[in-house]
Amino acid sequence: MDLLQILVNGLSVGAVYGLFALGYTLVFSVLGVINFAHGAVFTLGAYFTYLLIGGAVGANGLLAGFQLPFALPFWGALPLAGLGAALVALLVERVAFRPLRRRRADPLLALITSLGAGVILVNLIQLLVGAESYAIPTGALGGLPASFSLLGARVRTVQALLLGIAVLLLALLTLWLEGSRNGKGLQAVAEDAETAQLLGIDSTAMVRLAFGLSGFLAGVAGGLVGLSVSIAGPYFGIGYGLKGLAVLVLGGLGSVPGAVLGGLIVGLAEAFVPADWSGYKDAVSYGFLFLVLLLRPRGLLGRPLPSKV
Amino acid sequence: MDAALLEQMLLGALLALSVYLPLRCGQLSLATPGFYAVGGYVAALLSTGVPAFAGSGATSPLPALVAEMVLGGMLAGLIALAIGGPVLRLRGIYLAIATIALVEILRVLNLNLPFTGGAMGIFGIPQPFAHARGYVLFTLALLALACWLCQRLEALRLGRAMAAIRDDELAAASLGIDTPRTKLIAFVASAVLAGLTGALAAHFFNSWNARAGSFDASITTLAFVVFGGSRFWLGPVLGGLALTALPELLRPVGDLRLILFGAVILLGPLFFPQGLVTAERLRWLAALLGRGRHRDRQAPQAP
Repeated sequence: MDLLQILVNGLSVGAVYGLFALGYTLVFSVLGVINFAHGAVFTLGAYFTYLLIGGAVGANGLLAGFQLPFALPFWGALPLAGLGAALVALLVERVAFRPLRRRRADPLLALITSLGAGVILVNLIQLLVGAESYAIPTGALGGLPASFSLLGARVRTVQALLLGIAVLLLALLTLWLEGSRNGKGLQAVAEDAETAQLLGIDSTAMVRLAFGLSGFLAGVAGGLVGLSVSIAGPYFGIGYGLKGLAVLVLGGLGSVPGAVLGGLIVGLAEAFVPADWSGYKDAVSYGFLFLVLLLRPRGLLGRPLPSKV
Repeated sequence: MDAALLEQMLLGALLALSVYLPLRCGQLSLATPGFYAVGGYVAALLSTGVPAFAGSGATSPLPALVAEMVLGGMLAGLIALAIGGPVLRLRGIYLAIATIALVEILRVLNLNLPFTGGAMGIFGIPQPFAHARGYVLFTLALLALACWLCQRLEALRLGRAMAAIRDDELAAASLGIDTPRTKLIAFVASAVLAGLTGALAAHFFNSWNARAGSFDASITTLAFVVFGGSRFWLGPVLGGLALTALPELLRPVGDLRLILFGAVILLGPLFFPQGLVTAERLRWLAALLGRGRHRDRQAPQAP
């Protein structure tokens, strides 16, 4: 395969990982914990998109045959699916994080409660829509061609979209973080929640904002990946969730540009794995993760590790 | 109770102890399923491929099982020893993530190495016991031994060093405790326990594949400790027994059972942040039984 093709494939996969890791990073930066239900929220985003474009539930779930009475175009469905995923992320915050936060419990406990929330969500999906896979037809993109050629490389339109939307969302997020009042508030809480609170920033509202945004990003990423490959059942998001974790650590916990950089590096590295070795592809990101943790635990762009003195 | 379910519960308790050992010195390692899978592959490969271990093909001699468990535990322990030094420099969430990565790397290797049977895994592992009851007795003895060792740890210098590191690593180091060595011992002991449990489990389940060491398994074993409590060995043991039984006992509820299982993991830390078994509850129970003074010395001090 020629280099350009590898680059295109790697960057579009990397964009997904990056979007995923952005969600983790937003929550990590304000709370110092990782939300393990993030993968389930991503999965929900894909299912929401599928339903909103008028897809019908298959025969194996409680909702067998269910179909929304309307069908949106993909462009309308995607942001709505993101909003739906954001609502679920807020619910996860309310149930799995807020009670512990109020009690100032060990952050590792939140890791466990969020795992519980993820297990519930994934199995709820399975109960409702069954374990089969669903495909969002690429025809949903309307008049866009399925693929086009760029300097000799075949680029699927979905790949270009994934990359484009990831870059757009990242740019918007960065502008918002740096330029808006809430964005600065979020950064202040990330820096030091107590001082921020004393300065009149509602840290609870900022935490909610971080969860809502992370859910939205995950939902949109889920919808796009659902369009790119089919939704491979309720456990679809878990693999991406673990990859996102590797990306997060590679880029640096809590760093927004780091999340994107990490995503692109991991995506590219995976694309360079030769076809004969494709079975080992999944180990690439974890190998990276290991190396980074051992050589530079704060990641490529992260802040220094907090030390307990 | 069904002997097969009881056996699974006992295996769950052993795995819970494997998660408990690093936690005993404050290290949240999720690597247990990875080592469990390695131990299982050692047993599966030896007993299906090496005539000396295989017995008649359908059955396998008990000494072979013990030898496989020793080898499986040793291989897991060696891996832990090799990676433990650098990995244990990491703390908290970083250590958790690194050990998740380790489990995933081992899983990918198990799926792709030429001799592990790919996604299907290894079938027809010969049985040392004719009935699940045999496994139950054997595993019960192993669990009792593991519990006894954990109880001994409370009294030994090593165990006290571990507790000191859990409560404050810097203070422990300044008292002259060799913290890297103590953490490494706990990590390797955890791996050995998971490895030999895996070797036993591979025989019991009759087949072995890479699913044994998945992320799901990491979550499940972690839940054992969170549910039961990580301060005293009885906690993980009870947590492992109860949470392994729970999904099976909830089978009549059908598809809802995994949702309920998730609810237990979600709500457990909210209502019992220290787990179900704590020093206070043990003391209360001991006082209830009228043996308060004696038990007081055995239960670990509350934080």
